Amino acid sequence: MIKLIDINKSFTPDVQVIRDLSLEIHGGETLVLLGSSGCGKTTILKMINRIIEPSSGTVLIEGKNILEQDPIEVRRSIGYVIQEIGLFPHMNIEANVSVVLNLKGRPEEERKRRANEVLELVGLDPEQFSSRYPDELSGGQQQRIGVARALAANPSLLLMDEPFSAVDAVTRELLQLELLKLKKQLSKTIVFVTHDIFEAFTLADRIAILHEGRLQQVGTKEEIISSPETEFVEKLLMKPKKQLSAFQGLM
Amino acid sequence: MAMDFIVERLPELLLRTREHLLLSGVSTGAAVLIGVPLGIYVIKKTWLRSFVFGLAGIVQTVPSLAMLAFLLILIGKIGIVPAIIALTLYAFLPIIQNTVTGLEGVPPHLIEASQGMGMTKAQQIKMVRLPLALPVIVAGIKTAAIISVGIATLSAFIGAGGLGEFINRGLSLSDTRLILLGAIPSAILALYVSFAISAIEWGLNERKRRQVKLLKGSSGKLLSFIPLIILFLIGITGYIPQTGPSRTEKPTVTIGSKNFTEQLILAEMMARIIEIKTGFHVERRLNLGGTMICHEALLKGEIDMYPEYTGTGLLAVLKSKEPFTTPGEVYEFVSREYEKQFDLKWLPPFGFNNTYAFAVRNEAAVKNGWKKASDLTAAADSLKAGFTAEFSERPDGYPGFQKAYHISFGKVISLDPALMYDALKKGQVDIITAFSTDSRIPGYNLFILEDDKSFFPPYNAAPVVRKEVIEKYPEVQKALALLSNLIDEKTMQGLNFEADQNKREVKEIVREFFKEKVLL
Repeated sequence: MIKLIDINKSFTPDVQVIRDLSLEIHGGETLVLLGSSGCGKTTILKMINRIIEPSSGTVLIEGKNILEQDPIEVRRSIGYVIQEIGLFPHMNIEANVSVVLNLKGRPEEERKRRANEVLELVGLDPEQFSSRYPDELSGGQQQRIGVARALAANPSLLLMDEPFSAVDAVTRELLQLELLKLKKQLSKTIVFVTHDIFEAFTLADRIAILHEGRLQQVGTKEEIISSPETEFVEKLLMKPKKQLSAFQGLM
Repeated sequence: MAMDFIVERLPELLLRTREHLLLSGVSTGAAVLIGVPLGIYVIKKTWLRSFVFGLAGIVQTVPSLAMLAFLLILIGKIGIVPAIIALTLYAFLPIIQNTVTGLEGVPPHLIEASQGMGMTKAQQIKMVRLPLALPVIVAGIKTAAIISVGIATLSAFIGAGGLGEFINRGLSLSDTRLILLGAIPSAILALYVSFAISAIEWGLNERKRRQVKLLKGSSGKLLSFIPLIILFLIGITGYIPQTGPSRTEKPTVTIGSKNFTEQLILAEMMARIIEIKTGFHVERRLNLGGTMICHEALLKGEIDMYPEYTGTGLLAVLKSKEPFTTPGEVYEFVSREYEKQFDLKWLPPFGFNNTYAFAVRNEAAVKNGWKKASDLTAAADSLKAGFTAEFSERPDGYPGFQKAYHISFGKVISLDPALMYDALKKGQVDIITAFSTDSRIPGYNLFILEDDKSFFPPYNAAPVVRKEVIEKYPEVQKALALLSNLIDEKTMQGLNFEADQNKREVKEIVREFFKEKVLL
């Protein structure tokens, strides 16, 4: 379980990115941080693996304050997937996937075995892909490798920062479905950042909606649809409703 | 003919190539060892980085010869040590610049990814930033190595050897073949060095290695180092000291000279007369790059003697403003001051005065009725002058001339002494500062304008020797005394002519001259 307590964050004295934010993320759930760009969702994500430190407030993972722990160890125990994927172009796929195990000093044999496992998990044939290089892969394949890399060290927590927003709509949907499958299979805690309300509703167990650094509402899909708590959330839900009625009108 | 020329010089060519490799190899290596770690270190330290870059940039703009002269004064040595330091300084900028550019060029999302998965700063550099920056860093090393091979040709100016020795000698004697004998191998060397470094770059890159059959196997990595290892082995053999038994038994005197024909001939005469009369071992460190370098080398004991001109001693070294006009006064003054200030002795002069003189084309002199320097006043604005760099700068050179004659030429360019006569002959310049004993004055049909305001002091040539040497070995002074008053201006012009125009070996010219004068 992850607890964010009374978090505030400013990068410069006059701009506050996060205001008085408290949030609990339950073990095994997929929590989606939803909001438009600049709302602070990525900043919150990066506080969980201590890439960004809060100006005030506490971040607890399994009851331990991560601000009192070695940031390197914290990051190695958490899977991390970013929008640009960030595969290392000079390493082949196997080396890319097993890089965290390598950092942890695991023997080569284990790294190889584990690389094969996670590649299969994301639906790529290890024999075919292990010795290829990232630029020889399609965007969708690259993002799968990104997910495989995050899973390699078998972390119980996975942070995903808009991982599918750079791929085309068809591939995105495919990757979303695969993530849902993986979720069931692996029972990890996932914190997923997106600005896409449809993606949020597809993947989330619970959704946390952010606007201008403030938490608007946290709840299940049903809770949010049935009782939006702020004006912003209401407006946010208007868009899909409008689209739906327009679509029905056409039918 | 050309073949004979090369075959004859093959052993020296190999020696010079090795020296050249040693100079450029050691300096590039040192620049890599300093530049790459420093580049990594300064990357996040903005002010330190600007400082290092600024310094490296300034160093890069220092003319090579000035750098060599400066290091000579600083370290007090001629030869390979200051040469290697200078080359290292030059090689440093491209290496550190490319290291920093390469490390900074790594896309931010890769850094974010590596940070997010728990790499330490050091691991980020080792596993991500350095491997990705490697092609840029290697390009920098290649640039540095090529610069180094190029500039190493100038090391000959401070007696460090290398292929520049041929170029330097070729320029002094205006012998194109000698220039090419140095320039072509050094160009080939630069290409080969670039190839050797590329080979390693390929060998270390697994992906590129897959594309080359030869490097595909497990030994591919090692194989790619072979071109560089070959260079290294050739270079290292240049470092094995040549052991001559005579060296330890007999006393050694070292003779230097500046880099023009007359100096080479005079130095060879000094060397030969000492060898014949004393049986000492004589080391020749000839063709040093100018008065400053010779004088400093003499002060530091790197050489024991070299031929100098009284006027140069008076004005360039002692920077005297005394209005001497007669050769005797000048000689007496420099003898006294050199001994007092530097513990150096002027020995009896060779017997000729090689003064500066303004030379124009004969037909131009006839056409315009020029006889003396003041006759130029009217035409000066439209004249293009070619002076040696030294003359353009020295207060007793062009600046002093302007004051004395109230003449300023329309355009002044700096020319190498070896090139200015040709430039005048071909009409690229209209007037030069010739040396009055130069063989090309009669050879190229040039006319010397009379120095009607007695602006130029006398320049009588004489050996300048460290006092310590003649006190320890009086026989050296005795031997050199045999050369006093032996050569008049005509004779010197004739000897220079043999070397410059007839392209004969200096040693041979001196041998023949001694035979004629019964000095054998």
